Parts: sequence; structure tokens; C-alpha cells
Amino acid sequence: MDRWQYLLILGGCVLITLPLEVFGQGVYRQPIRLLRALTPVLVGFLVWDAIAIALDVWHYNPRYVSGINMPFMPLEELLFFIVIPLCGLLTYSAVSNILGIVRAQRHKSAQLSPR
Amino acid sequence: MIGLGYTLPAMMSVVVVCVLELTVLRTGLFREPAYWISMGIVFIFQILVDGWLTKLSAPIVIYNEEHTSGLRFPWDIPVEDFLFGWALVTAVLLLWVKQRPDMESGRG
Repeated sequence: MDRWQYLLILGGCVLITLPLEVFGQGVYRQPIRLLRALTPVLVGFLVWDAIAIALDVWHYNPRYVSGINMPFMPLEELLFFIVIPLCGLLTYSAVSNILGIVRAQRHKSAQLSPR
Repeated sequence: MIGLGYTLPAMMSVVVVCVLELTVLRTGLFREPAYWISMGIVFIFQILVDGWLTKLSAPIVIYNEEHTSGLRFPWDIPVEDFLFGWALVTAVLLLWVKQRPDMESGRG
């Protein structure tokens, strides 16, 4: 079970943020926009990560990774760079929409209240 | 403890993201309360997830201490991870906001 630890954590991150998709236009429902935002950053960080692993700046405990390897890094590390930004985007999308609703209601009640 | 392998690139990543926003992207994201609230939430969850990944009793990610500052806080999280995480999430948010319809129509 131990070797699934890293994957399970990433899966948990995906699950816990999934409900945030209901806010506004969501993130997963705008796949092109998502790809355009994610891809350039993903490439940059993967290069950084591959160099850091090659130079032994950090490495992964074989006990807690699946053993499925991508070029230069474990599968989990590649997924990390997709999952974490997704969590950030869903959070931002939800917070923006909630603030928008709050502002609209304040505006409405300000208009309705007698001066 | 030289820090060249992680501390320096982590600091550089923050500088690069800030320079990109201020010179090229100009989204105004840093002036949005929604951004700072979101990053606060992300920060709390980073402590939980990263704390688990880096705990010295059973680490998933193992750092070569020659390349870090050696500062670990809270728990056993190398402080560099917070710069790294900030740059990663902020960069994606910037490119996301850049594509917002009101940005693409030229206002941004």
C-alpha cells in the first residue's frame, strides 16, 4: 500500500477540489483555456524538475512511489505539476465567483434600501 | 547548505513570475482580492500536503541538504517549497486570467 502514497495524495487533491467546478464556468469545462494556461508553465517546471533530479537536488523515496516512470521522473511528479495548478485554478475560480455574488448582492441591497 | 541547487532557482522563479506579470502579461491579478484569498487557501493546503511529502520520519521527497538553505518550517517543509509552489500556481493563474474575455478584448 505504501508505494501508492504519493498517487493517493494527488488523487485526494483532485477529489477535494472537484466540487469547486460548480462555480461559474468552472475550470474543467474550459479545456482549451486550461491547456493554454497550464502547458507553458508545465513545460518550464518539468525542465526545472528534470534538471534538479539529474543533479540530485532532490529524489523520490522508492518506498512511496508506484514505480511507474516517465522520462526523467516518476509518474507522480509529472502528475503533481498538473494536479497542483488545477487545485489553484479551481480555488481561484470559486473564490472569484463567490466574491462576485457577494458584490452583486451588496449592490442590489444598496439600490433597494431607501436613502 | 550552499543553496545553489534549490534556494537560488526557487527565488529566481518568484522573480521571473513577477517580472513577467509586470512587463508582459499585465493582468492586474496581484490587485485582485480573489487572488490573495485563493493563495491563502492554497497555502494552508500546501502545508498539509507538502508536510506529508517532506516529513523526515518517512519522506516521499528527499532533498539533498547541500542544495537547500536547511530551513524547514512548518514541520519539515523546506521553506524553498513555498517559493516554488507560489511561482507554479501564480504562473498558471496569470495565464488563465490573461485569457479572460475582458482581457482579450484589449483592456488588459
